[in-house]
Amino acid sequence: MSILIDDKTRVIVQGITGKIGSTQTRWMLKYGTTVVGGVTPGKGGNTVEDLPVFDSVEEAVQETGANASVFFVPAPFVLDAFYETADAGIKLIVVVPEHIPVHDVIKMRAYALEKEVLALGPTTPGILVPGKGKMGIMPGSLFSPGRVGIISRSGTLSYEFAGILSEKDIGQSAVVGMGADSVILTNLPDILKLFEADDETDAVIIVGEVGGMQEEKAAEFIANGMTKPVASYIAGRFSPEGKCMGHAGAIVRGSAGTVESKCEALKASGAEILKSPIEVIDWTIKNDIH
Amino acid sequence: MRLYEYEGIDIFESVGIPVPRRGVAETTEDALIIAGEIGYPVVLKAQVLVGGRGLAGGVKTATTPEELEEISGTLFNFEIKGLPVRKLMVCEKADILRELYMGITVDGFSGKPVVVVSTEGGAHIEETARTSPDKIASFYCDPTFGFYPFQARMLLRRLGLSERLLTFCADVLVRLYRVFSQFDALIAEINPMVILKTGYQGGLLAVDSVIEIDNSALSRIQYPLPQMTERIENPLERKGREIGVTYVDLGGDIGIIASGAGLGMATMDIIGQRLRPANFLETGGGITEELLYKCMELVIMKVNLRAIFINIYGGINPIHEGARGVVRYIRDHNVTLPIVAKALGNHQEETWEIFRSGGVHVVTEAPTEIAVDRLFELVGKK
Repeated sequence: MSILIDDKTRVIVQGITGKIGSTQTRWMLKYGTTVVGGVTPGKGGNTVEDLPVFDSVEEAVQETGANASVFFVPAPFVLDAFYETADAGIKLIVVVPEHIPVHDVIKMRAYALEKEVLALGPTTPGILVPGKGKMGIMPGSLFSPGRVGIISRSGTLSYEFAGILSEKDIGQSAVVGMGADSVILTNLPDILKLFEADDETDAVIIVGEVGGMQEEKAAEFIANGMTKPVASYIAGRFSPEGKCMGHAGAIVRGSAGTVESKCEALKASGAEILKSPIEVIDWTIKNDIH
Repeated sequence: MRLYEYEGIDIFESVGIPVPRRGVAETTEDALIIAGEIGYPVVLKAQVLVGGRGLAGGVKTATTPEELEEISGTLFNFEIKGLPVRKLMVCEKADILRELYMGITVDGFSGKPVVVVSTEGGAHIEETARTSPDKIASFYCDPTFGFYPFQARMLLRRLGLSERLLTFCADVLVRLYRVFSQFDALIAEINPMVILKTGYQGGLLAVDSVIEIDNSALSRIQYPLPQMTERIENPLERKGREIGVTYVDLGGDIGIIASGAGLGMATMDIIGQRLRPANFLETGGGITEELLYKCMELVIMKVNLRAIFINIYGGINPIHEGARGVVRYIRDHNVTLPIVAKALGNHQEETWEIFRSGGVHVVTEAPTEIAVDRLFELVGKK
């Protein structure tokens, strides 16, 4: 069974009547995803791509049996929509939009934990399970079915890795965008856990970035609980340093956050460090990954 | 958006945190007038948006008008970490007994506001955190619950505070949390929070402020704030902000346009091994024909540019529309610089065709390394 999206996944699209929402709904349907409807408050009764549009998530769940939702809601309205969706009993939420205030994200995260919702994002391309379906914006043509899991902080870098692997006929079991913001709804170690437990995944690639401490925490999980091979690329080696003001962040984080800190922690955990994305090909050959 | 110290102190004052008497000077004459009203000695503090100002010599005490003139003249001609000093804050000199540290930020991994306090305030607080962690106490808040005086008192008691100082500091800390919350701050910090030798103003004075506001929340803050673009010193970076992309000016001569920060950084890392990036430009998810036209305009403003490297994916972005913007710019301005583009995803074939019609070198393989090889063939070494 694949992670996150399987035969029972019934997706609604929130913000389905918007330009991006409707376009992406078409792509998701084309990829074979079971999209059952959409929600835009005030637009109930309309249809988009022959799918019913509802005023509320509760109604959408009642009428369609939806159990997963993908957001194309404008950033200022995401917090409200998130509470509504969690309250309607949906357990998988993908928050695609960028520029959501951090103070909203921390509230969403706390609520998701309380309601046992698995939520991804914000600023995520979503999830794609090759051949089965996708929730989000990943361009289907770059992915192919197989046994390598990818978790990426950056949307477009997840496409890059999937594209490089697919060109060499190495397919993916699932590709998960964890979200690029400083606070994300589900942390990297918790996503790794899903891949570790997944019998359709043989190996995992972590695509990280400079900043924060997700990759350092992932290294702790790999050292203690991961049996599958892991490779990691961390972007931002040549990124200019920000002009840091204030001390609170540095006191809380310590030395975590740099590319060096992440690579050292991951290497010590047993993961292979890729200095450049293309090195992923050699890693698959060396570890006999198909 | 980072606020200047004087802006932050105004905000502190608006929520009832005790702050010094002060004024902002743009000239030495202004500074003399303000100091005359406050009374000597006064402290002159260079207003720059960078940390480590005190250690860099940006804070000085003047005891007489003559001394003030000399210091002010020096500071106005001073650069701190490359930033010019345009304003000085002139403030009363506090009679310091002790210095505390109070700061609130968001902890990225737990997703919680974290309140940090220390009895060792001042410029060396990060070192204290490493060497004497017992002098630092922190508390992770439940973001849906908030932060209450009893929690502030529990936290401050861990540092050994008691009696009136305990309740007064707790009151300030809760007000600081209010600033953090109402201003959608990524950081709100008082360092140092001065305990005065006298009982003046309840014995406490917030003599410095650091506030950084979440750019994604600027439009909802109910307080008159300056325009974000006014804060950006670099004209190219300011233009980037105006057209709605992230642009960072770098020292090299290869222009970069990428969709997504991660891809942009990876592109820079790969190019940086053999060539020197002129900029980092990340479009985010809002590509249109017009946006990429403006991105071309912006990247080309950099002098001595030798080539442009475009790395974009069609996921949320309509890259075929973006390609039209690039080609229209090339035609309008007869651009002859070599341009290499890797564009994959939705509408990729259409995108390649449009790029090729404008003379762009299109690479269709997935690895950015292969596209950078192509760039390298076209421009040669550094």
